[in-house]
Amino acid sequence: MVDAGSVLTDLAFGLAAGVLLGCVYAVIAHGLNLIWGVAKVVNIAHGEFIMLGAYGAYFLSLWFGTNPLVAAPVDAAIGLGVGLLFYYGILHWELRGKEQMGLESEMVTLVATFGLSLVVSTVAQLLWTPNVVGIQWSPGVVVAGPVSFSLGGVYVAIASVGIISLTHLFFTRTYLGSGVLAHSQDIAATQLMGINPTRAAAVGTAIGFAVTMAGGALLTVWLPVGIFPLMGALWAPISFVIVVLGGPGKMWGSLVGGLILGVTISVLPTFLPPSIGLSVSTAVAMLILIPVLLFRPEGLLR
Amino acid sequence: MRIPALGPTVYILAVAMVFLAALVPFLPGFAVTVLVRLLIFAAYAYSINFITGLTGYVSFGHVVFVGTGAYALGFAVRTWHVAPLLGVMLGGAAGLLLAVGLGAVTLRFRGVYFAIASLVTVLAASSIVVIVPQLNDGQGIIMVFPFTPTAYFYTAWVLVAVQMGLTWWVTHGRLGLGIRAIRGNEDAAKRLGVNAAGLKLFLFSVSGLFAGAAGAVSAWNTYGVFPDVFELTTSLQMLAMIVVGGLGTLLGPFLGAVLVYVPSYYFLTSASNIQLILIGALVVFFALVIPSGLVGGLRRYVPSLRRILE
Repeated sequence: MVDAGSVLTDLAFGLAAGVLLGCVYAVIAHGLNLIWGVAKVVNIAHGEFIMLGAYGAYFLSLWFGTNPLVAAPVDAAIGLGVGLLFYYGILHWELRGKEQMGLESEMVTLVATFGLSLVVSTVAQLLWTPNVVGIQWSPGVVVAGPVSFSLGGVYVAIASVGIISLTHLFFTRTYLGSGVLAHSQDIAATQLMGINPTRAAAVGTAIGFAVTMAGGALLTVWLPVGIFPLMGALWAPISFVIVVLGGPGKMWGSLVGGLILGVTISVLPTFLPPSIGLSVSTAVAMLILIPVLLFRPEGLLR
Repeated sequence: MRIPALGPTVYILAVAMVFLAALVPFLPGFAVTVLVRLLIFAAYAYSINFITGLTGYVSFGHVVFVGTGAYALGFAVRTWHVAPLLGVMLGGAAGLLLAVGLGAVTLRFRGVYFAIASLVTVLAASSIVVIVPQLNDGQGIIMVFPFTPTAYFYTAWVLVAVQMGLTWWVTHGRLGLGIRAIRGNEDAAKRLGVNAAGLKLFLFSVSGLFAGAAGAVSAWNTYGVFPDVFELTTSLQMLAMIVVGGLGTLLGPFLGAVLVYVPSYYFLTSASNIQLILIGALVVFFALVIPSGLVGGLRRYVPSLRRILE
């Protein structure tokens, strides 16, 4: 006989943890969303850059003792450079001079970024060994009635929503940002307005990478042990599902998708036997994608 | 029905395959197992070529069929004690069934959406397989077979040879025209009366059938099946082989299998998969510079090979 009160407590805890987790999911997917929206490219190597962000936070904490919140802006600055390198080193080869993204270009960029993911994750394994590391950072615990959760998760959730809001402000309130936003909506028309398409796509990609790597740093709070070179293979699919749920290129889509996935992954196990809880909730979280693509291919947001 | 003429590539492949088959009785067991791995790679490459190579639908999820085939063999051997060859057939059947089911839904998605849908099925499958009690709860199934390298070899050989024949058959004549039309512009192809949905599902099912059977041969050859058969890396290697060799070509998957297998074998003892750096760099290079792969690149830059390679 299961105690009804304890189930409710579990549910409340799962819901709260899901919302907090969902915010972090949202920010790591947001980087992918920006690149997808602006450069029209799905970066299969997305998970590898989350991994680089997480390692950035790990090494900063190892060398300077900083916590992931401090590491995030440092990672973001590095991410800007990495993003420019990625755009001009890889995407520019294919996207140069294209006003529409055809199926052929989609295929080329999918395959090229997948090759990149193999290179990056394997080089990371050589440099940092395949072993799992983590950052020990526990700023305290919040107690709210019967449930309690780590303060680190709360800080990170706030930072995540902050980052997404910042990108929103950048794209809607600044001159450079609105140029990039215009590029994401209609490349040909934007060119007629005198905006350099290459530069707009490069800026969008760089911002996307900055958000991705900062997200990787924030994610480490949830992974006391879980930073390893192949972690991208888990986090990339999660990001893809989130972006499709919210709708690619929609600024708040990442947050909506992230919250849905976070709550699913953290609430579902409370209804299931513990031995299969995590596996079933991961599988469900992945397969949500298929009905969404069938019935609302443009995403849940209008 | 008019039968198209056999080109030089068909003869090259036929001679190479017959040569391999004739060589095996004279080789030591160890050398045969090396060739078996190569043929399994080639079987993977031809299988993904049916869908990704011919129609341009990029599948990151082909390892799901490989893993399903491997587990079908493991399950049948453990539960019903069937002969391994029957297990391979069951593996193919399981791959076929899964491909029909998955394809009926995911082939409706175009471009990146199909690619993403195929990618997430890998994570879903590897989460599900570890909680199925009939498949030993993710602890894997260890099988006891006698060491019969020639049996593995000829099974894998048949899988590759049949797929080569099928690839030739579907790329020539009516089917081939329909497939090329889909790859060029699917909407236009539909308007012209090409049964795009049926053709794609047919190719996807053939692809799943052979990926499943090849996965089963691989499990037979390694005497066991563990949840790591669903590792994404295998999928990526499959895709790498056809990108490097030449998407949708007859010779390309074989060339690609050799090019991906040789470094994998050479670095077999290193723990960190150094060969993946090389393979990944090759994929980036080919995708951006020569998207038609080795075969397509040779055809384009060496005009005298244009009539020979396909």
